[in-house]
Amino acid sequence: MTAERYVVVGYDGSTDAQSAVAWAAKTAAALGAHLRVVHAVGLLEHAGMAGHAHVEADVALKIASDAGLHPSQVEWHVVDGDPTSAMLRMAEPPEVATLLVVGSRGSGGHAGTLLGSTSLELAEHSPVPVTIVPSSYRGG
Amino acid sequence: MTTLVVAGPTGIAEHDGGSYHPEQQSRLFAVMDGVRALGLEDEVVYPAVVEASVDELSRVHAPAYLAELEAFCARGGGDIDPDTYARPDSWTAARRAAGAGLAALAELERRNEGIAFVPVRPPGHHATADRAMGFCLVNNVAVAAASRTAVGERVLIVDWDVHHGNGTQAIFWDDPDVLYVSTHQHPLFPGTGRPDEVGGPGAPGLTVNLPLPAGATGDVVRAAIDEVARQTIEEFAPDWVLVSCGFDAHQADPLGELELSSGDFAELARVVSEFAPGPGRLALFLEGGYNPVSLESSVEATLGALLELPVRSPEPTYGGPGLSQLRTDRTERLRAVDRVHMEVGP
Ligand SMILES: [Zn+2]
Repeated sequence: MTAERYVVVGYDGSTDAQSAVAWAAKTAAALGAHLRVVHAVGLLEHAGMAGHAHVEADVALKIASDAGLHPSQVEWHVVDGDPTSAMLRMAEPPEVATLLVVGSRGSGGHAGTLLGSTSLELAEHSPVPVTIVPSSYRGG
Repeated sequence: MTTLVVAGPTGIAEHDGGSYHPEQQSRLFAVMDGVRALGLEDEVVYPAVVEASVDELSRVHAPAYLAELEAFCARGGGDIDPDTYARPDSWTAARRAAGAGLAALAELERRNEGIAFVPVRPPGHHATADRAMGFCLVNNVAVAAASRTAVGERVLIVDWDVHHGNGTQAIFWDDPDVLYVSTHQHPLFPGTGRPDEVGGPGAPGLTVNLPLPAGATGDVVRAAIDEVARQTIEEFAPDWVLVSCGFDAHQADPLGELELSSGDFAELARVVSEFAPGPGRLALFLEGGYNPVSLESSVEATLGALLELPVRSPEPTYGGPGLSQLRTDRTERLRAVDRVHMEVGP
């Protein structure tokens, strides 16, 4: 068990995910916690076949620092897998996160449906609190 | 002579993600070239395939999910996640793929001999009870397995696709009538399939995960199934053996980094066929496999081995990493099974 508290946020490069990183960074700063930004690599991205833009760590890290976190308090994790299982794994012992944060819909995800919603699935299965950040969140 | 039953191909026209997507129509052309290369001509039996009913799908999928998938396709479909798409006719394609599996098992049962191959799209093993992912909409092998447990039979599912079949594992997590054995590259999408994932309190030890490092060769995959999993399989004594038969563990496949040759799939097929309790109880369901050349030669090698045809296939591969990890993982798995037993109590 690590003594450090940390907040985990999912990041797929979408504008929703950027909002989620901003909220998670502010919250981590307020809690005195570290922030772990998790990017889950799917089948196509693993094979270099993803049609969408390359996901940049720098963008997420800049959002976190703009929100008041020192770079030493932010970790960037790239994990092969489905976003839900990647984030749930970080909420399980021995790596118990204080909080999981996701945007209300990821790239291509359909909010409010059962088909591809990481946020709904996380909310159902996570043993720790989950925050779903709306795309309209712009800080403050 | 053993009959080859081919339930399919289905899903060529209905489910089209475009040529940029590796899970595309041309996969089935390559697969059927592999079937034709066996030279069996009209000795191959093609049973009629009908779409699985919602009741048949509901044995493993949440009715609300099925309704949502149907409605999503009816609205025109789209991208479900960065990997997974649906088209207007994908709901039909998914039901037909699941129906092909049911037709395959019905034909084997009627003949009481033969081996079945189910070349269908979209694939199935990542689809969970209530979620599409990893190119998969409906879990074809799970629908077939559930059709047999519904009549009191026990089903072994061997999943040698390069990816872990998280959907199949989750669906049968707590089911004492299904033994799920998976070899897969790890870490890799979908991220599940660790050795300590062993099944729920109703089925402790009936999920067997055998993760392999990138670079693992055929001998390591064979050892995982033939040596590590064999005892569990024999004790389970299945009535049916279903294979989640992905060919993306091939060394030429663009989606994974295992090093199998087509000849390795022939060897694996021989090992797995020994677990069938008698003739007419083995069916192979196409999952992944994204290089057309290796798909064709792997299908030919696999089916040729099962039918004992004189197929010339590339040599099996040896010497990759992962054998010692299998031993360490075995200890971890047994500990995890003990933990589940303790939670259940005496
Ligand atoms: Zn696969």
